Amino acid sequence: MSVIRNLGYGAALAMLLATTTANAQDLSETQLVNTLGQVSNEGAPIDVALLVQEVTENVGQGVANLPNWSRLAGMPQLTVEINFENNSIAIEPSSYRAVGQIADALHHPILSKNKFLVVGHTNATGDPKHNLKLSDERANAIVEALSTTFAIPASHLVGIGVGSELPVDPADPKAPVNRRVQLINIGKAN
Amino acid sequence: MRRYGIVGAIALAVVVGQAGLAAAQTISFADAVTTLAKECGADIKKHCAGVNLGNNQIQQCLEKNQAAVSPTCTSTLATVTASIQQRLAAQASVMQVCSTDAHQHCKGVVGEYNILGCLLKTVRIDSGKCNQAITDAGWR
Repeated sequence: MSVIRNLGYGAALAMLLATTTANAQDLSETQLVNTLGQVSNEGAPIDVALLVQEVTENVGQGVANLPNWSRLAGMPQLTVEINFENNSIAIEPSSYRAVGQIADALHHPILSKNKFLVVGHTNATGDPKHNLKLSDERANAIVEALSTTFAIPASHLVGIGVGSELPVDPADPKAPVNRRVQLINIGKAN
Repeated sequence: MRRYGIVGAIALAVVVGQAGLAAAQTISFADAVTTLAKECGADIKKHCAGVNLGNNQIQQCLEKNQAAVSPTCTSTLATVTASIQQRLAAQASVMQVCSTDAHQHCKGVVGEYNILGCLLKTVRIDSGKCNQAITDAGWR
């Protein structure tokens, strides 16, 4: 951690060109900020309504190859593990730190003018429709915490659930690793 | 007279307390809520099942159940809430506190992010209050 801090701002800027995907739990704030900061201005803006439409029309069939969801893969993002109480939208106290880390990153001047998707995922245990609903509510619970407790402008955050339709490990959709939150930088906030 | 004395003493204590707060180093949001989870996690699990971090709900739940909540948690809650507000205030003040420095040392630099990058490089000639503001914002 201190080694990373000692790299300083110049090195941090250089890291803007580094990889686009990372796991927040392994990262310092500097790395979080820089991983998320590589905004690409290519293509049309992400239309959240279309994402919602694609996932609700394809429950149980996956979304990885659908036109709008597949675009997200190329955008600057982080995968974060945030645990919730069973079948509830209450964030476990053990995961408060992860939410706080996101807040630290999103308040940084590199990111504070950007808009972020908060995508909630479940694993494939249970009913896909229920998973979709729960993941959506959980994503929005994270958005609520970020926008109230940590004062991130609500207009900079969009919560969306994708249930078990986009596993990180498609070979084993029931694996716990598929339960996660993606934080995706979708460009400048208006 | 005696009553004024007490009020005066309290007022002085409040002023000193605030000065103490203002001078104290701010902490990150992550560290603030880590402390909350550490000192209040058990109380939250016990008294606030299903209650979420957002919208002051955890705070309200812990306050409502104060009689049953551990004293350490109650005092931690106040500290954590104050820490988050201090960090937010520090971040909101940086550009204003540093405006003279930015004007002097970062001519022609546009955008908060670029100005911050410039001020971080000019740390040796920036004013003490500007340097302190950047540190308190957690942006160094």
